[in-house]
Amino acid sequence: MPNLDDAYSLAKWLSGNGTDAEDIVQEAAMRALNALERLTVDNPRAWFLRIVRNTALTWIAKNRPKAISLAGDMTDLELREDLALSEPAADAEQILIAAEDGESVRRAIADLPSPLKETLILREVNGLNYREIATATESPLGTVMSRLARARAAIAKSLGATR
Amino acid sequence: MSDAPRQEPDASLRANAAIDGELDAANALQFERDLASDPALRALHARIGAASEAVRREAPKERAPAQLRARISRMVEVQEVRPSRAIRFAHFPRALAASLAAIAMIGALAWTFRVADSGDDPQMQALVSGYMRGQVSGQPFDVASSDRHTVKPWLASRVTLGAAVVDLAEAGYPLAGGRIDIVDRTPVPTLVYRRREHFISVSELPAGRGAQPWRGSIDGFHVERWADSERAYVAVSDLDASDLSAFVEAFRAAQRGAAKGDPVPAKP
Repeated sequence: MPNLDDAYSLAKWLSGNGTDAEDIVQEAAMRALNALERLTVDNPRAWFLRIVRNTALTWIAKNRPKAISLAGDMTDLELREDLALSEPAADAEQILIAAEDGESVRRAIADLPSPLKETLILREVNGLNYREIATATESPLGTVMSRLARARAAIAKSLGATR
Repeated sequence: MSDAPRQEPDASLRANAAIDGELDAANALQFERDLASDPALRALHARIGAASEAVRREAPKERAPAQLRARISRMVEVQEVRPSRAIRFAHFPRALAASLAAIAMIGALAWTFRVADSGDDPQMQALVSGYMRGQVSGQPFDVASSDRHTVKPWLASRVTLGAAVVDLAEAGYPLAGGRIDIVDRTPVPTLVYRRREHFISVSELPAGRGAQPWRGSIDGFHVERWADSERAYVAVSDLDASDLSAFVEAFRAAQRGAAKGDPVPAKP
């Protein structure tokens, strides 16, 4: 069941732990199976990941409202200087050297605000293309591109700073 | 709240799109040329690539725990032997669909379903692709002008179908320019309007070809199609569906106004 691995990985990154991820995926699977009685879908993988993503967001809002306020909404996102696409200090080689410490990479991902994190995970972990990410996150393509660019810039910056 | 994509530096969006294989052949070629001649772009491209590689390496896809897989397999099996709706509602956790669902979920990607026929219409796909190319390349039009008396003759000299260029600046949609899209191997005129940082493209097609009104989204873009007695129109944008509908309203109203005093000129 390759899609379950995708779903579990996404849910784990969004919720921050494996136990919650299992609950989220199970609930998402239930929603998906119910929905499939009524409708047909174009791209089952992107569609199922969208349900996982929405389930995770609902789950987090219900169980950990604090995490949401910490991550900030998109208004704060605009103002967060560390997410601006300004010139980072490090070059590619320095970034890859810093990335040898896997923990620092994982921490940088976990620290991303949710809209950037989900876009990055759907691309790098789940391997969706831009259109599929737009479907999964219910966002316009331009927003997907912008968020992905910022997410990677933030990772690069974070790794550059840990030299 | 939407983060405004058009405010991002184009170079960063292009470099990301290049790394993700999202540039079409022409744009990919141009990007390679730019890369060769621009050290700053090379450094940016390398940094983004390094960040991407770091994430892929350190955040691999994880296997779902066996327990979870077993639970979900069971949900699907239970559903298959209990297809009655009454039972499904009585035992909600087992309220799960048929084998069809399981197959879709476990990744039968080749098995394609349909949400709406028009989303697969090659004409609409072509127009959405045209719009997307404009977004990715940062060049959404071939002729840039807010003056319809510049855009109209430019389009008229290139396509056989006359474009009804209406002025919507007062309604909040200044004209940004025009371009030619290719649909069914035929060039069609496309007008590009601006709304804040968003672009809206309106293409004109001969009536009779897929002129059914349609509204929906293709590849994440909102699309609206309508027709009058002579032509079909397709609007594509990254605006919200409701904002796009408001634009279409304004466009049609302006067109009706223009039709009275300013008929679309015949082709040269």
